[in-house]
Amino acid sequence: MRRQCVRQSPAPAVQVAGRLYRGSAMLATSVLLDSGVEHIRGGFYNPAMVTPVLTSLLTLASNLHGHVDRHGRRHGARHAVFALTVATGAAGTAFHIYNILKKPGGLRWQNLFYSGPLGAPSAITLSGLFGLLAERVRDTPADTMPRIFGINAGRVLSAVTALSLLGTSGEAGLLHFRGSFQNPAMYLPVTMPPAAAALMTGAALGKSRKSHWFTPLWLVLTGAMGIAGTGFHIYGVSRAMGGWRNWRQTMFDGPPIPAPPSFTGIALAGLAALALLRAHPEDGEATWA
Amino acid sequence: MREYRLDDEVDFLIIGTGAGGGTLAGKLAEHGFSVIALDAGLYFRPLEDFASDETEQEKLYWLDRRVCDGADPLQMGGKNSGKAVGGSMVHFAMVSLRFRPEWFKSRSLLGYGADWPLDWREMWHYYRQAELALSISGPVSYPWGPKRPRYPYRAHEVNSAGRLLAKGAEALGMQWTETPLATVSAPRGKSPPCVYRGFCRFGCSTNAKQSTLNTWIPRAIAAGAEIRDLAMAGRIEVNDAGRATGVRFHRNGAWHFQRARNVVVSGYAIETPRLLLNSATPRHPHGLANSSGLVGKYLMTQSNQAVFGRMDDEVRWYKGPPSLTITEHWNYQDNKDFFGGYCWMAQGPLPIEWAFIQTGARGLWGEALRRDMMNYNHQVGLKMVGEVLPDTRNHVTLDDERDQYGLRIPRITFSWGENDKILIDHAIGQMTLSMQAIGAREIFAQREDANHLAGTARMGFSPETSVVNADCRSWDIANLWVCDGSVFPTTGGVNPSLTIQAIALRTADRIKAMAQHGEL
Repeated sequence: MRRQCVRQSPAPAVQVAGRLYRGSAMLATSVLLDSGVEHIRGGFYNPAMVTPVLTSLLTLASNLHGHVDRHGRRHGARHAVFALTVATGAAGTAFHIYNILKKPGGLRWQNLFYSGPLGAPSAITLSGLFGLLAERVRDTPADTMPRIFGINAGRVLSAVTALSLLGTSGEAGLLHFRGSFQNPAMYLPVTMPPAAAALMTGAALGKSRKSHWFTPLWLVLTGAMGIAGTGFHIYGVSRAMGGWRNWRQTMFDGPPIPAPPSFTGIALAGLAALALLRAHPEDGEATWA
Repeated sequence: MREYRLDDEVDFLIIGTGAGGGTLAGKLAEHGFSVIALDAGLYFRPLEDFASDETEQEKLYWLDRRVCDGADPLQMGGKNSGKAVGGSMVHFAMVSLRFRPEWFKSRSLLGYGADWPLDWREMWHYYRQAELALSISGPVSYPWGPKRPRYPYRAHEVNSAGRLLAKGAEALGMQWTETPLATVSAPRGKSPPCVYRGFCRFGCSTNAKQSTLNTWIPRAIAAGAEIRDLAMAGRIEVNDAGRATGVRFHRNGAWHFQRARNVVVSGYAIETPRLLLNSATPRHPHGLANSSGLVGKYLMTQSNQAVFGRMDDEVRWYKGPPSLTITEHWNYQDNKDFFGGYCWMAQGPLPIEWAFIQTGARGLWGEALRRDMMNYNHQVGLKMVGEVLPDTRNHVTLDDERDQYGLRIPRITFSWGENDKILIDHAIGQMTLSMQAIGAREIFAQREDANHLAGTARMGFSPETSVVNADCRSWDIANLWVCDGSVFPTTGGVNPSLTIQAIALRTADRIKAMAQHGEL
C-alpha cells in the first residue's frame, strides 16, 4: 500500500504539514509550561488538572514524529492523539466555565479574572486542531489540492487561524484588562493579532492568486510579538515583590511567561495556510513556494 | 528635599501630613506655593521599617496621653489616629469609598444632621482625582449611586471571607461588590502588586498600599515642599492684626518658631481642635477660630460593630486585604426607621486582634480562649462602618493634665445617641441574617467598637454655625485653615479617607484660584 518511497526532499504537502506541526508544537509547548505552572499553583486541586500536561506532552511527541515522518499520508496514532487533544481542550474549557459559574456572582468580571482562565484551554484545542489539519494536508497526493470538507485546505486553515488569533487576543485582552494595561506594551497583543486576523480572513475569502506580501510579514511580526511577550512577562515577574530573587512566588503570581508564544504558534499555522494558498491557486497551476 | 529656614515666611505651613495635610501639601506645592508640612511622627520607609508584627506596628498610632470619658468612651489608637509622616493613611485599611451624594445635603434631603456647603458633583470630580492619584483597585462598575468612572486598577481577587459576604448578600437579595481599595492589583511605579499577606491595617512592607506616604508626600517633595518630621506643633501664633504669623513647634528637644503666611491645621478630629484650643490668646480666649464656640464640638466616630461566626470549612480570613467585599445596601436604602446609613465589609482580623475580640466581646479567657483560638482558620465575620449623628454632647476639650511636650492634653467625651443605637441594632440584625444564610455556627456580635473620627471643626454656611467655610478657611482668621476630617458636618456610612482627600484637593484648587484673584 505504500504510495511512495522516502525521497531526497519531502513532498510539498508534507512541507506545509511540517509548518503546521511546528505551529502546533509551539502551542503545545506553551500549554505544557503554562498549564504546568498554573496547575502547580492550583496544587492539582482537581485530579483532572493533570490532563493538559499529559495531553500537551503527547501532542508534542506526535508533532515531533510528524515532523521527521516524510511519508505523504496521515498516521493513525498521531491522528488519534490530535483528536484526543482537541477533546481535552474542549473539556478544559467546560471545566473552566464551571469553575467560573460556581463562584458567587457567577459570570462577572471578578470570576472571569481570577478563575480558571476561560480562553486558556482553547490553546490546547488549537494545538490538536492544527495537528489534525496537518494530517489531513499531508494525506493528499502531490498534484492535487488538499481539501477539508471539500473546501480548499488553505482557505480553511486561514479561517481557523483568523479565529484562533481573535480568541487568543481576547484571552490576552481579558488578562491585560485585569492588569489595567499598566504597561503600554500590554496593548500590543490586543491590537496586532486582530489585525492579523483581518488579513487572514481576507486570505480565506479573497482571490487565491492575489499575491500579498503584507500578510505574511504581519504574521511574522505577530509571531515575533509572541516571543517578545515572553520577554515582557519575564520583566513583569521582576516587578513583583522580591522580583526574580523570589521566583518561587513571583513566577507563579506574575504574568505567565509561557503564554505569549501561543501567538507565535498560531502565526506559524497562518504562514502554513498562506503557503498552501500559494501552492494551490484554485484558478491556476500550482506554484509551490 | 528643599529645606526652609525658620525665618523664611513660607506660603503655607501645614500641620499634619495625613489624608488632609499630605494631600494638600502635594497639591499646593504643585500649584507653585512654598510649603512646609510638619508631622509629629517619624518618616518611615515601607520596605525597611514595617515589620509583619501586630505589636511592633503600634509605633504608627498616636498613643500619647488623653482622657476619654462620656457614657461610651472612645478607645484611641490604630482605628482613629496615626503618628507618622502620611498620617493614619500609613496604616489605614485602604478602603476608598465615595459618599452617597445625598449625604452632602443630609439635612435638607434626608432630614438629619447638617448640610455641607459643598456640591456632590464637584466632589465627584475631586473623588476621581484622588482615585487616580492612589490608583484605586476597584470593581469595573459600582452598583450603588450615580455612575462613576471605572476605577484605575482592577479589583483584587476576593478571598473566601469576601466570597462568604457575597453569598450572604445574595441570599438576602442585596447587591455586593469588590471594595475599592488603595492597594495596587498590578505594578505601579515603585509599588509591586499586592501579595495578599494580610498585614494591611499596618504599614505595608510590600509597598503595594497607596497612601499619602508613597503618593502625595513624594509629589510634594518633588514639587519643592519640605516635610519636617518629628515636629510637634504646640501653638499657632496670631498677631494684633488678627492674622496667624506662624507656628511654635517642638523638634530635637527644643521649641522653635516657623514663620508662615498661611497656617493649615490638619491634625484630625482630636489634635486639630486641641491645637486650636491650646493656641488661645487674650484676644481669642476660647481658642483660635472659635467665635462660634464650635471648635471641638460635634465629635463623631463611626459605629464599627461586627458579627462573627464559624464555618465548617476552612476560611483563612487573614489572607489578603481584610475588606475585599462590601455591601452598601443600607447606605442607599431609605426604607428604615432611623437616620443615617451603614455598609458592611468582609473581615480578616489577625490573631492578636482576634484574641482581643474573643476576650472583649465574648469574655473568653484561659483554657476556653485557647481552645477557641484554635478555630481561627474557620472564623468568618462581617463588620459595619455606620454613620453616627453629630451631637453637641460629644466633644473635645482641654484637660488640665499636660503631655511630654508640656501641652494640655485633650479630653474626649463621647456617648452613642439614641439614633446611633437603633442603627447599630439594625446592622447587627442584618449582619446576623447574612451569617445565618451562609451556614455559620456559634454566631456572636461584637457590640462595642468604633473607628474613624470626624467633626470638631465643622464646615458650614455661616460664622455662627461653623468653624470654617466651604474652602476650609476659618471664618475668624483669614489665613488660618483647617483641612482634614474634622471639617465634616456629618460623617456618612463609609470610611472617610477618600472624602478627606477630595476636600483637600478642592481646597488646593480654591486656594490657587483665590491667590490668582488676590483673595488670600
